[in-house]
Amino acid sequence: MEKRQDIALGLIFVGIGIAAAWMARGYSGASGTYPMVLGVILALFGGTVSIKAARSGRTEARRLIDAPGHFFTTALIATAYVALVVPLGFYTASVLLMLALPLALGFRRLGYALIVALVFMALIYLVFSVLLEKPLPREAILSILGAGA
Amino acid sequence: MEFFTTALGHVLTLGPLSAMTGSTLLGVFIGALPGLNPVMAIALLLPLTYSMDPLVALAMVAGIYNGSMYGGAIPAILLRIPGTPASIATTFDGFPMADKGEASKALKIACWSSAVGGIASAVALMTMGPLLARLTLFFGPAEYFWIAIFGMASVGVMVGSDPVKGIMAAVLGLLIGTMGIDNLSGQARFTFGQTWMLGGLDLIVVLVGLYALPPVLQLAEKADLRGLSAAQLKLADAPFKPGELRGLIPTWLRASGIGIGVGILPGAGGNIAAFLSYNAAKNASSDPESFGKGNPQGVAAAECGNNADNAASMIPALSLGIPGNVVAALVLSALTIHGLQPGPQLFHQNPVLVGGFMVEMLLTSVLIFALGGAVATRVFAQFQRLPGVLLVPSILILMCVGVYVINGRPVDLWVMLGAGIAGYLLEKVNVPLAPIILGMILGPMAEQSVRRALLISRGDATDLLTRPISAGLAIATLLVILWPVVKTLRRRRAARA
Amino acid sequence: MKLKATILGMSALVALAAPALAEYPERAIELTIPAGAGGGTDTSARKLAILLEEKLGTSIAILNVGGGGGSVGASQFMQAKPDGYSLFATWNSPITTVPQVQNVAYSLDSFTPIASTSETAYTLCVKADFPAATGEEFLAELAANPGKYTYGNDGIGGTMQLAAERIFQAKEIDAIAIPFGGAGETLQNFLGNHVDIYGGSISTVLPYVETGEAKCLLVTSAADVPALPDASGLESLGLGDKETLLWRAILGPKDLDPAIVEKLAAVIDEAVNDPSYVEFLATKGEVPNVVKGDALGDRLQSEYDALAEVSKRLGL
Repeated sequence: MEKRQDIALGLIFVGIGIAAAWMARGYSGASGTYPMVLGVILALFGGTVSIKAARSGRTEARRLIDAPGHFFTTALIATAYVALVVPLGFYTASVLLMLALPLALGFRRLGYALIVALVFMALIYLVFSVLLEKPLPREAILSILGAGA
Repeated sequence: MEFFTTALGHVLTLGPLSAMTGSTLLGVFIGALPGLNPVMAIALLLPLTYSMDPLVALAMVAGIYNGSMYGGAIPAILLRIPGTPASIATTFDGFPMADKGEASKALKIACWSSAVGGIASAVALMTMGPLLARLTLFFGPAEYFWIAIFGMASVGVMVGSDPVKGIMAAVLGLLIGTMGIDNLSGQARFTFGQTWMLGGLDLIVVLVGLYALPPVLQLAEKADLRGLSAAQLKLADAPFKPGELRGLIPTWLRASGIGIGVGILPGAGGNIAAFLSYNAAKNASSDPESFGKGNPQGVAAAECGNNADNAASMIPALSLGIPGNVVAALVLSALTIHGLQPGPQLFHQNPVLVGGFMVEMLLTSVLIFALGGAVATRVFAQFQRLPGVLLVPSILILMCVGVYVINGRPVDLWVMLGAGIAGYLLEKVNVPLAPIILGMILGPMAEQSVRRALLISRGDATDLLTRPISAGLAIATLLVILWPVVKTLRRRRAARA
Repeated sequence: MKLKATILGMSALVALAAPALAEYPERAIELTIPAGAGGGTDTSARKLAILLEEKLGTSIAILNVGGGGGSVGASQFMQAKPDGYSLFATWNSPITTVPQVQNVAYSLDSFTPIASTSETAYTLCVKADFPAATGEEFLAELAANPGKYTYGNDGIGGTMQLAAERIFQAKEIDAIAIPFGGAGETLQNFLGNHVDIYGGSISTVLPYVETGEAKCLLVTSAADVPALPDASGLESLGLGDKETLLWRAILGPKDLDPAIVEKLAAVIDEAVNDPSYVEFLATKGEVPNVVKGDALGDRLQSEYDALAEVSKRLGL
């Protein structure tokens, strides 16, 4: 059990618990009591985790992230995707994701990735846009083309 | 029984038959794809059915509902991503089995168990519907409170190696469950001034993030560029050993009973049924330590429990006109659109239609036997032949599209991403995730019912214990908590002697 | 056919540059419903959408945004573009009632009223053995026993509760409100004797009136309701001005083009009065009621003002 990680974890939960209890102070009647009690309990458990960790002698190394390079690349690209999916439009952003992420992770067979991307997007289009008629974020590229025409 | 034979005659025609087959298959897919869930699919498809023969429309509902409850098990076993909230308990033993090279066996057990649970539930619906429905009326706010507490006691089986962290996770879930407008006072809680948070955090959004993102990130960390070869898939048919199926029967019976019991109570639902069945199987086992490490009984209990909830959840809807969950509400809404009036007279108004729907719930459960296994191994498992680095963006996109269409708002995507990264880190520091979801499901139920009960009793808390059913449930809760302790003590004494 | 509609929609998107009203609508319309799938508002809106699709010749995509008693959906819809391709199918509560108890970001001005579609009264019902047989006796029994009876309703500060409290305030009645998640849940607790009085929509409880298990003694409309012969309308009790109804309407975002409003209102009028829709409404105990444009705006305003007064007195 990694000591420092557990101390930090416990402290984070203490923080969340106290913040929640503090915010619940202002809620009317019974609707405030319950979350306030929960906040206090959460803080107590967080404290227990921290204290237990601080008192235990052993420290075994435990890595939080196995492959930080790949992890952060993926997390970053996923975040960019979520940020771009509305401005660019769902299909545009998704095709970009399906090409960019494998590339960033070291995949070099671009043709293969492109085929998989297109087949996959076609399936999504059939299910969500044709069968279920669900509105997805609109394609910016269509509006640009439209404005140009 | 006569109307069932008449109804059967109507159901066994080309339209309903093909609708059942198609929609059961579709349901398995919907359940298996993280982000897509049966409620959404049925809500989206129902309008298309308004102009159809109602028996065909209801066949689609039955197929999607039953199929998806099984489908959720497929990614739960193969990737440790539960396809629906009800298949979280399936990951506990399903994924360890797959890890040991028994994916094929686990899928087969899931398939059989789902079918058995579904059939048992449909039989209950057909034979005891009105009787069971009347039984649910004895459950008022005080009783619901105890059911929620009883469900939370099952958190004991999922806290993992460190109980303090497990309970801490459950409390966090309870706290998340309080977010949004409080129905009893109109107070907005923890909404940070954001209007979209007035409805609280959506369970599915959090589930998809918390449960699907960590495995996806781990897949990305491995950055596998080649995919598995056919030989590596290890999906050779795993025939049951003699006696293996018989060994599952007690688990099936127990899980079916629990699933039906939870199913008939409006507002309880399949998510809880799977947890409770799993807990019961573990408590009954002579070797509880093997649970969570790939015990087939765990998969059987969870999958049987969540399917046994399905048809039973239609009981209060069809017999009383009280929809217990969204799917039941959608079925009632479809019946209304076809000119029927939900209520105690529903069955007499149109026995062919209502009886036919019950028969369809039964037949689609049987269809899981026929279709389920093949879909899982021939289609889904094959996706693992794609290079991992291509699977990662595909699953990400599915998650996003599924989350986006729930409420049509981009902010849910951020919630999912945040929950996912938190989930990844929490798992790494040994905080189990299942208690968070359980807390989110049961917290609102516990809080609202206890406050309602106190309003009704004018603030007198003894009312929570003096009513016969509440008292029974309270004692049962105590037993569930104490039972594992008693068992361990006894075993220790036996070992010493 | 669906595919064709989608392709049409896509090509229309490309030609978005020049909005020509004559051609409205030229692509799919998104209809936001501020309630979950399967409920009363949802079912009515979906059924109406089928008819509107036919009459407008375009497809309508439905988006359920539940939560917060409708305020989540309303707030989200408020930000839609007023181009006529985003519409809002709501019942009155999120617009006129919820703002009384919640701090919401929208007001009546955030929407363009298009047309109302249908309306129904709420009803108060008791078990067959309740010591009252008429609306008058019912209110007298409640007034004589302050704090004795509990009534289930659709949630705190919901229209149902305010509708009942308006009457109770006038008669100085003290009954205990127990908020539930919806009429189905209220019915369950009423049938199980966990609450004394059912308060909610008529259609949910109607089957139990027919079996004799429940008797409905009061409706919140001024006039009597034919489906409930035992129930008194408020007019007959001298409370005609305390009428509170459940009604449904289609709204647009703020600053919607009046020409579009007019076109939509006309089409909605036609669809609502379509025999198949009238029949469908009847099964739910609702009647068609079309109020268009500015008249609808006035109706919203006067209801808002009346409910503001009730909730202030309730201390909500």
